[in-house]
Amino acid sequence: MIRVIDLRKRFGDNEILKGISFEMRPQTVLGVIGASGSGKSTLLRCLNGLETIDGGTIECDGVRLEAGLSTAEYRRRVKELRLKVGTVFQHFYLFPHLSVVGNIIEAPVHVLRSAKKKAETEAFELLESVGMKQAARRYPGSLSGGEQQRVAIARALAMHPALLLLDEPTSALDPRRINSLRALLRTFVDRGHTMIIISHSMGFLGGVSDNILFMEGGVAVEYGPTDEVLNSPQDPRTKDFLKQAE
Amino acid sequence: MWLIFFVATASAQKVLRWGADPSGGAPYVFTDPANPDQYIGYEKEMVDALAQAMGRRAEFVPSDWQTLVSALQRNSFDVIVNGLEPTGDRAQQILFSKPYYIFQLQLTVRRDDNRINSIDDCKNRIVGTLGNTAASRLLEQQGIPLRNYEDPVGAYRDLELKRIDAVVMDVPAEAFYARSNSRLRPAGPPFTRGLYVIGLRKGDLALKAEVDAAIDKIIFDGTLETILKKWGLWNDAQVEFQAPIRAGTQSTKVEEYTSTTTTFNWREALWRLTRAATVTVLIALGSMVIAVVLGLPLAVGQWKGPAWVRAFCTLYVEFFRGTPVLVQLLFLYFGLPVIGIAMPGWLTALVGLGLNYAAYESQVYRASLEAIPNGQWEAAYSLGMSPVLAFRRIIMPQAFRIALPPMTNDFVSLFKDTSVAFAISVWELATAYRELANASGQFLLLGLAVSAFYLAMSLPMAHLARRLERRMSNRATERLEEAPV
Repeated sequence: MIRVIDLRKRFGDNEILKGISFEMRPQTVLGVIGASGSGKSTLLRCLNGLETIDGGTIECDGVRLEAGLSTAEYRRRVKELRLKVGTVFQHFYLFPHLSVVGNIIEAPVHVLRSAKKKAETEAFELLESVGMKQAARRYPGSLSGGEQQRVAIARALAMHPALLLLDEPTSALDPRRINSLRALLRTFVDRGHTMIIISHSMGFLGGVSDNILFMEGGVAVEYGPTDEVLNSPQDPRTKDFLKQAE
Repeated sequence: MWLIFFVATASAQKVLRWGADPSGGAPYVFTDPANPDQYIGYEKEMVDALAQAMGRRAEFVPSDWQTLVSALQRNSFDVIVNGLEPTGDRAQQILFSKPYYIFQLQLTVRRDDNRINSIDDCKNRIVGTLGNTAASRLLEQQGIPLRNYEDPVGAYRDLELKRIDAVVMDVPAEAFYARSNSRLRPAGPPFTRGLYVIGLRKGDLALKAEVDAAIDKIIFDGTLETILKKWGLWNDAQVEFQAPIRAGTQSTKVEEYTSTTTTFNWREALWRLTRAATVTVLIALGSMVIAVVLGLPLAVGQWKGPAWVRAFCTLYVEFFRGTPVLVQLLFLYFGLPVIGIAMPGWLTALVGLGLNYAAYESQVYRASLEAIPNGQWEAAYSLGMSPVLAFRRIIMPQAFRIALPPMTNDFVSLFKDTSVAFAISVWELATAYRELANASGQFLLLGLAVSAFYLAMSLPMAHLARRLERRMSNRATERLEEAPV
């Protein structure tokens, strides 16, 4: 179970997240939409602990991060949270000095202390499932954007996260590859993964997400099943946004 | 205008330009402590007397002891008057005047050191002396390990600091610098006798005749005796030496006096260069290790440390980058003993260069670390890595790739910078070149040999670094078709 309650974040006097709350069940996909500057990315960075939260609570698979904890305790919980949450960044941020398989086993070996052999076997299985097994010994510099993204997904999944975050996964892909990414993500959901996806592509989200969260000005304006939010939005701000997005 | 200039120079008194090393040059010629823009010394007064006898005006050209002979040949001055001994190798390069002074050597040790009472007790001790002098040749001939100094001050100071066990010096210098020092004592009586002569360019026979006549004149009329008495240098040896001249007979029986001669030996020279190269390599490698290791905490401190750490690191870097490495070495070598830290010369050079280059390396590291995109940190954090782990496994390896070319550059220049160690009497390659070339006049051939030594050290390193760079960049740009499937 993933639960976010009254999440607040500000930079100086500028409050970016003004009390976001939502819940999601395991093995579902939540699509987050909203204009640039609506707070989507900040929400994502709070969920994986890259930003310190100023108010509210994040609960993920038994880890509870809340504002107002002592610094040491907060740090400890962020560490736990990061083990529960995997992230595929918009620009992937693969480690250029490590091979593809090296990228994937780096954290399992050095953070989870898995045996290298076991981590590699698992890495090859993951690469197989994202269709990148043949590139295992190559280096990120020689991969295309789409290939790098698949490696980044495999790298995040190698840590067995309870929640996978994807930031603008379609921004670097052509329409054909968007379709295959959608299929790929759906197979992972069927295998039990839970995801939050930020995207500007309604078509993509329509085919992949179970629920949609629309954000504007740091507020969660509308939250509901994908079909309802995209096809019959209740809030005038959602209607307005979707009209412009068409 | 030109005419006036010509007439003015022609009518002016003829000049006698004389060269000597005034740094630490008492009592020969040195800066007057009471009047620092003037030079004094017994040889200064003697040259003034000689010039007067020759109807010339003396003009002093401050020079460097090690390069006096080549400076004379380059016509920087007309004569060398600097307690010069008529050695065989010098005789091949320059002309000598009649002798004007009989010198002896004096062994000096620390007052509380009872082990050494004569030069024979020095077989396994390190003895300091001036480079390229009769004393240094005598020690070499007897197989006594020696360290050459630029001036007596440095030699006696190192003796006090126990960096060496004894000092052999010409009596005039010993009398001036060591005899009044309560922590030192003369070991045994003065020994051997040698001559001081004036050096002239080969073929300058007219000037030699003039100088010889002037020497006779100031000995004959007692002027030299007065000067030597004033400086406390008058002794039995001088009485013996001057007596025949003053009696009107010209024979001075100079053959009786030791004139240490060493002919230049190429095999030995190359052997000494090899030893000097080893010292150079050890200093360079040692200081590299210090620089590479110490550079990292400096870089990280200046980059991510709390304010006071940042301030300290910045201060360190600016201090070591902003002051000459030569000054830093002199400070470490001569300054630190004041607070009880007296490192030997090679260690001083190693530590000094290491501290200095650490400042440069830290800047290379910092620039390289800052060049790694923030996304790499975030990717590492989001995989659950701690900052230390992320730094060690993700950031540092990437930064190292960026840092390698400038680091190679620094280390090639560090190899060359080891040459500043000559200032603190470390026998490395540059010192070896200077001393051997000055002793032999073989500046060209020895210069080529020494350059070959430097290149033999720096080229393999540059080559190694290039290979390493290529290997790392190959990985990153490895093409699709080359990838194993």
